[in-house]
Amino acid sequence: MTQKAPVAQKKPGTRAEAALRAFHEESAFGKAYDTRLARRLWPYMRPYQFWLWLSIVLGLVMAGMGLLRPYLMRITIDQGASAKDPKVLFWGGLSFAAVVLVEQVLNFVQVYAVQISGARALADLRRDAFGHLQSLRLGFFDKQPVGRLVTRVTNDIDAILELFASGALNAVVDLVKLVGIVIVMVGLDWRLSLVGFAAAPVVALLVQLVRRKSRDAFRAIRAKTAEMNANMNEQVSGMAVVQAFCREERAAHEFDVINSAYRDANIASIKYEAVQDAAIEMVTSVCLASIIVALGYHPVSFGTVVAFNAYLLMFFEPISALAQRYTLLQSAMAGAERVFGLLDLEEFDAPKSTDAASAVPAGEAAFSFDHVTFEYKPGVPVLEDVTFRVKKGEKIAVVGPTGAGKTTLASVLLRLYDVSSGVVRVDGADVRSLDRTELRSRFAVVPQDVFLFPGTVLSNVAVGDPTPDRARVEQALRRIDALDLFQRRPGGLDARVDERGENFSAGERQLIAFARALYRDAPIIMLDEATASVDSDTEARVQRALDELMKGRTALIIAHRLSTVRAADRILGFQRGRLVEEGTHSELLRKGGLYAKLHRLHFARQDEAALERASAE
Amino acid sequence: MTSHAPTSPPRLPTTLLGQLRRQSPRFAVGLVLLATYQYGQYWFDTNLSIAIDAAVAGKKEIAAHIGALLIGVALSTLIIRVLSRMAVFNAGRIAEYELRKALLDQLQRLGPAFYRKKSTGDIMSRATNDLGQVRLLLGFGALNSMNTVFALASALAVTLRISGRLTVAALSTLPVLFVAMWGFSRAMFSRQRENQDAIGQMSAAVQSSISGVRVVRSFSLEEEEIRRFSITNADYLEKTLGLARLRGLMFPVMQAITAVGAIIVLWYGGRLMLGDELTPGNFMAFFRALSRLTWPLISLGFLTSIVQRGRAAFSRLEEVFDAEPDIVDGPLPAPLRVAGHLEVRGLSFSYGDHRILDGVSFDVAPGKLVAIVGRTGSGKSTLAALLPRLQPTPRGTVFLDGVDVCDLPLSAVRGSIGYAQQSAFLFSTTVGRNIGYCFDDPDGTVAMDSVRGAAKDAQIAEEIDLLPDGFDTIVGERGVQLSGGQKQRVALARAFLASRRVLVLDDPLSAVDSRTERAIIDVIEARRERQSVLLVTHRVAAAARCDEVLVLDAGRIVERGTHEELIGRRGLYAAFAEEQRVESELEALSGPATFAGEAVPA
Repeated sequence: MTQKAPVAQKKPGTRAEAALRAFHEESAFGKAYDTRLARRLWPYMRPYQFWLWLSIVLGLVMAGMGLLRPYLMRITIDQGASAKDPKVLFWGGLSFAAVVLVEQVLNFVQVYAVQISGARALADLRRDAFGHLQSLRLGFFDKQPVGRLVTRVTNDIDAILELFASGALNAVVDLVKLVGIVIVMVGLDWRLSLVGFAAAPVVALLVQLVRRKSRDAFRAIRAKTAEMNANMNEQVSGMAVVQAFCREERAAHEFDVINSAYRDANIASIKYEAVQDAAIEMVTSVCLASIIVALGYHPVSFGTVVAFNAYLLMFFEPISALAQRYTLLQSAMAGAERVFGLLDLEEFDAPKSTDAASAVPAGEAAFSFDHVTFEYKPGVPVLEDVTFRVKKGEKIAVVGPTGAGKTTLASVLLRLYDVSSGVVRVDGADVRSLDRTELRSRFAVVPQDVFLFPGTVLSNVAVGDPTPDRARVEQALRRIDALDLFQRRPGGLDARVDERGENFSAGERQLIAFARALYRDAPIIMLDEATASVDSDTEARVQRALDELMKGRTALIIAHRLSTVRAADRILGFQRGRLVEEGTHSELLRKGGLYAKLHRLHFARQDEAALERASAE
Repeated sequence: MTSHAPTSPPRLPTTLLGQLRRQSPRFAVGLVLLATYQYGQYWFDTNLSIAIDAAVAGKKEIAAHIGALLIGVALSTLIIRVLSRMAVFNAGRIAEYELRKALLDQLQRLGPAFYRKKSTGDIMSRATNDLGQVRLLLGFGALNSMNTVFALASALAVTLRISGRLTVAALSTLPVLFVAMWGFSRAMFSRQRENQDAIGQMSAAVQSSISGVRVVRSFSLEEEEIRRFSITNADYLEKTLGLARLRGLMFPVMQAITAVGAIIVLWYGGRLMLGDELTPGNFMAFFRALSRLTWPLISLGFLTSIVQRGRAAFSRLEEVFDAEPDIVDGPLPAPLRVAGHLEVRGLSFSYGDHRILDGVSFDVAPGKLVAIVGRTGSGKSTLAALLPRLQPTPRGTVFLDGVDVCDLPLSAVRGSIGYAQQSAFLFSTTVGRNIGYCFDDPDGTVAMDSVRGAAKDAQIAEEIDLLPDGFDTIVGERGVQLSGGQKQRVALARAFLASRRVLVLDDPLSAVDSRTERAIIDVIEARRERQSVLLVTHRVAAAARCDEVLVLDAGRIVERGTHEELIGRRGLYAAFAEEQRVESELEALSGPATFAGEAVPA
């Protein structure tokens, strides 16, 4: 078995592998430099360009001072030697110290300035990317894995940030410095310079040779790291499956293939990095030795030798950093491309404000549907020619089999999706003419599957309120008779809510959602009753809470319980996207249509006693 | 097919000392190479001094001769230096590789007792961050602790020969450098952690805002979400800049301290040179030796943190390595042939004080189909997971062909009792590879044929063909690209293909419509000679097709018999049957057009 697997791995062209490659293509590297992307980044840099320019200017100043240092050394040594005067040495040493001190202070300012410009600009880009996500229409999120979108805002932007943090942008200054060093050295003594630089082509060749391999190793490491973590993460989350199918050995083998590839890529990179480091050291030593050999035939001052040594060190250092910088640039560009790709999406949500100042004919209708048809997929209508009106303060129960389009009613009322034809009106105004926030602020929605945000019970009840009003939260919970339930928990209202509210039961989540709706105090309540069974104590609380919630409001309830249906003023029966009947409980029972059937089949079992009372009426 | 649990491969050392010992040949080679390298440096500096003095004195032949030797030495130290890094750093990487491998093996051995306590995120953080710290200790840490000793010896050998007093003067700044670096490294590690925490918080904010996008939109929380995000964004910015300040400060401080040393040499050494106590060659050699010491001392400053962190990280890894697996192989060998007679005798099971199952007994004879029916929370799923020992099955309660499953190797139990669960976990690979999970080479032609066959049996083949890449469509993380019902059927196909003698299906069709369910039950019936099935279900229509129905309520079997018998008894089962007859009529009302609504976001 262990023999078979590597073969399976290496077989180049199975379609499954091609598909997998295409899926993971995200990790591929792009071009190293793309003018279009750089131009798009610029508006983000512009407000902080002062820091950017400062860092460049300081970089140049520092390059100059760096060039000055060995020169100072030379003067000090040579003049001290000829004057035989310790005073010269003292002043020379002092000025050297001054240069170093200023240089290091500037160095700090320079490094920090470039980071300020980068980090601030990218924080702005991050804000825009996140804000853009908040403005995209809901349909967009139906197709996108959450993790990928999170990556856009975090890792992809961090890849660009790395350019600033790593000092890769110093490459330009380094180039100036290299040229400076050559000029100074040639100026000092051109023949000795020739000897010194004789090794340069060898270094260039060596670095070039190693650079590509080192870059490949670096890329392999990055790709393998991601693959390895994904594989282990998946094995850990799906461990029950691995164990149930006895696939431990095979899974371990699969992991081992990635794990060894990761190790080997690292080992390769160790070799190349070591060669690069050592090569620079070797070359400076070789150059120094050659200069000394030359010194015998071509005497220069000792100070010059010291200065040459220092310049040579300075010369070869940035060359070794080049390969890594290139790779950083590439991954930054790839990150930028993905982030701007997101920002270019124009699938917008309903607009924030609309020009059509809605002249609201404030009638008695809270909302109405006028020949509304809606489809998620073209040709498959979920709502078809639906027309009804709901008066202010009216309580409407919506009933019908699964897939009849009940939940969609809420989505189009809030304009989370736009209808295909017909008009949805709220307070007499077409929802398309209303400001999105204004429209949605009239509703409090309780979905079937309640979503809780990470935070506390308090922050979840007062969701959307930057300063939660504890008294009002308590009041909301008290009104639905759930305050004690949450206060009993350790931490009370400040009890932590984990991701997606996993540490709360379905019933408790439901109650939090009710309290959320009460806290919001919107005129219209829309509620999708939970079908999930909860324990009977919570169930009773949920029932009482519902009555409290509807008090004095317009309510649209997708009902699964007889008690809810019976408490409604009017019942709408939906079937296959169509409104097939409406009326009160007893009217519809008498009519003997869909509701009567639903009632007989479904609700009857829930509460037989209630049914008996109902038919006695 | 695979037969052994992962106990068979020789276990790799999982202690720090064990790994140190295992990598000791590499460390030994590294030690020798580093010593040689530093000796080479010593030789270079000493002879450089002679060569310079010779050149200054005009003895060009001697200078040229020594110069040529120096070039030779420089070239060979290059090779030695490269080899020394490779020896020691490779040891760190190999140790990391082995520890990671051992970690996964251990994770595969561990059972539900461990996974209940530790989240995936927690485990992953140990496998990445903590393991990284350990590698740093075994690679970078080991190299620098060895190198620093030799570098000190080699540099001092050069400088002390030139001038003891100058050495003392020049080295006076080194303790400062060491202390500064020690402080920086501590601050650096904590800032880096803060930085990681900040980005973690930011990711969490984005994550919850996108997962809860429906609520965000319905409640118009966009502004509030942006505000909340801005707080984390600003915090991350601040932490990034904090780290930048520290990093920005570290290098200049380091340089400044080093420069002070250089100035001392320049000034004091220069004076000595003027007094002819020092030759120019001595001066140059001294300078070089001193600069060679800078980096080893800087790393020494980091070393204390690296050791401290590496050990702390290792103790977190040990929590995993030392965790006792709660489900282990039994002492008996795997049976040669499995008939597949499953018996359950007086099975009781509790989570803490909460009793889940209470004295459950039944038989699944080869070729039989048995259904277990019950409400949510009746203990059905726990029962199903106990049979293949995916939960800690109590001894003497579950028997396979008359042998206690606790006495058998796990691979034999799970190789005979297949299991598929309601919330199907799919791997983020292709549909085909998910179904062919039991194959070593799921892309082969033979495997692909079986995969297609199993997909047909699970009534999913046609839908797979409609996917963009058919069987090569990637299902996404945990199968997000598929609907709930599709996921369940892919998992069912996967379970069919594993062809165990007994198949335990834990409500595998809860998101599948009744027509498809009927077709799947037909297949199960047709396969019964090959595979007996224990079907845990809440659907009476499926249970009706089984030879025996057991009704589970609050952990006890309250009714048992055939479907007809139970209906006649007018108990709990009959009540379920009535409820569901009603539901199926409802389903008929909704009709096929809207049933496609399975995948519709609502």
